Amino acid sequence: MTDSGRERRRFTSTVLGAAAAPEPTPIHQRVVRGVVVDATRYMFCLATPRGEERFLYENSTTFWRGGEILATELRPGDDVVVRCSQDGRLIAERVWARVARATGVIVEREGDTLTLDPGHGRPRTTVVLPYRTSGRITVRHPRLEPGYLFDAVGIWEDGAVWAARPATTQPPHPLDASPRRPPVREYSTTVEGIVSWYDPARGRSSHLDPRAQAPGAAYPALDRSGHEGRCDRRTSCLPLPLLSTGATLSLRNDCTRDTAVVPVIDCAASDSWFCDLCPACGTRAAGRIASLTMTSFVALGGLLEVGCFNATMTVANQEG
Amino acid sequence: MFPEILEAIREVQAPLLAALLLLGAAAKASPRSAGTGAALLVPQRLRRPVTLATCLAEVGLAVGLLTLTGPAADVVRCLTVLLFAVSVGVLLVVRRRDPEAGCGCFGGLSREPIGWRTLSRASLLAVAAATTIGLGPNGWTSASEPTVTHGIVLGVELLLLGLLSPELREVFSRATTGEPCALREGSPRRSLRRLRRSDVWRTNAKVMLADEPEDTWRHGCWRFLRYDGMRHGRRVDVVYAVRIGGPRRTGVRAALVDRESGAVIATFGAVTTLDLQGPPRRLPKPRQAAKRDEAEGRGGPKPGTLAEEPPGEAGRGMPGGPSKEIQGAGA
Repeated sequence: MTDSGRERRRFTSTVLGAAAAPEPTPIHQRVVRGVVVDATRYMFCLATPRGEERFLYENSTTFWRGGEILATELRPGDDVVVRCSQDGRLIAERVWARVARATGVIVEREGDTLTLDPGHGRPRTTVVLPYRTSGRITVRHPRLEPGYLFDAVGIWEDGAVWAARPATTQPPHPLDASPRRPPVREYSTTVEGIVSWYDPARGRSSHLDPRAQAPGAAYPALDRSGHEGRCDRRTSCLPLPLLSTGATLSLRNDCTRDTAVVPVIDCAASDSWFCDLCPACGTRAAGRIASLTMTSFVALGGLLEVGCFNATMTVANQEG
Repeated sequence: MFPEILEAIREVQAPLLAALLLLGAAAKASPRSAGTGAALLVPQRLRRPVTLATCLAEVGLAVGLLTLTGPAADVVRCLTVLLFAVSVGVLLVVRRRDPEAGCGCFGGLSREPIGWRTLSRASLLAVAAATTIGLGPNGWTSASEPTVTHGIVLGVELLLLGLLSPELREVFSRATTGEPCALREGSPRRSLRRLRRSDVWRTNAKVMLADEPEDTWRHGCWRFLRYDGMRHGRRVDVVYAVRIGGPRRTGVRAALVDRESGAVIATFGAVTTLDLQGPPRRLPKPRQAAKRDEAEGRGGPKPGTLAEEPPGEAGRGMPGGPSKEIQGAGA
């Protein structure tokens, strides 16, 4: 969280009470992100902000890079996210390498290459649909035409995202024809929806870039006045309270029952465009609550290759 | 009598149709109207141009109905009949293609799926336009010389159109349903106005160094504004929280926070949640008070008896004291 965000949270809790803006919970030490320095059959070494760290494997350790891979297939220079076993920061339980996400509206298509606009002034993403995964992608995203939404998880390859699996199901209408949310009469302090993830560092220099390690969330109902830059969001299909960067969200993963308080650090314009369901752990409410950074998402029990989980957000009663 | 009514019915149609066409064009011009009605039958990139073209055609016909006379007026009237007749056909096609689609007749207000009411209305308007063909005066002239018969005919027709319009329910629902404050896009200027009218602002005016806030942010129902301030030679942050909507008495809160230590110096404007006892408005008359005390089982000494008063209940300046004296006097 930035200094400005920290100050805002402090002042909010001073005026409205501590429950209105709870203190963010730090990311659990068992989640690590860094760059592979060396990998052998028994262990691998990562460059992290703490320096070089070594991690051992178990038989049950899984490695994902667009699909299941072997430990020896990790290459030096790979950006990886590691979730260690419950015991601590030594034995890797799950490892994701070069994982990338392409979320946004399709602006151009050339053969098996798409150009996406992720919204909020972020750079456009080039997505490649390899032949071996294109069938799986098109089942969930049948309309790969400009104007339609796209959301898939894949890996970084030469500055482009090679899509490996669809994250959620594509809405059947183009973005411009999205139905408006009907007016909400009563406001509830708990909101059920889905939580996804995004990577503010775009897979580059994750051991040096503070954005790659930052805990936080991009929020789709960001107030226009308290945000630097343009947040080209729409009215989300969930009744989300309007907040600014610096606010904190109390989230619970409904699948694993993990809870965390994460600070709002960015605008999630694309989350306000989607009104989708997460197939993981049963289907519940449609609509996106927030996009967590990769480390926050994994710390809250999410699986990066699945791309989402069902969650409940609690907003404190702000009447003080 | 009957020919007069018939003539009034014919004369009322042109201004009424013009008004409806202008309303429809204005509603279609808003960006929310995209993706409804006839626009659904064309590719995505042509939807906005088609909606705007319909909008312009409606404005042109409305102006023609109001101003033109003679053969030119009849051409416009025939085109109006054609517009409504074609729209009935288009609506039938749209309904077959997408049963959930709205007609888009009044832009974003016409989101309800196309049903018999919408189709009947379009047919009725086509018939109404057909009755104006061959009429002498233009729509403006008819509207500027109204009679009682015109008024009655117009009222009946508006009632009929109201019954056939699903948009009225949407208008009513939008007008009556206010979104909760946490979801409402409040205007920052309105919040600033509310802040500057508040007692809390006037109280802290001397502390603040600038009129413009250093930082502004939103937290659900509250908009926060932070100002620079100086108090007894120490830099402070003056933080205001202005409520979006809601009752006025909970409108504005503030906190003075020492910048160096982060200590809260003072808070203003928070409304207590305790039930505070208000000041007595009016004392009851002695006879009423006696009756009330009796009803509540706190009856005082009856005439001619020296009953014991419960201690502390006297409330007459000597709680507990007088009863002993009275007892003593009785013994």
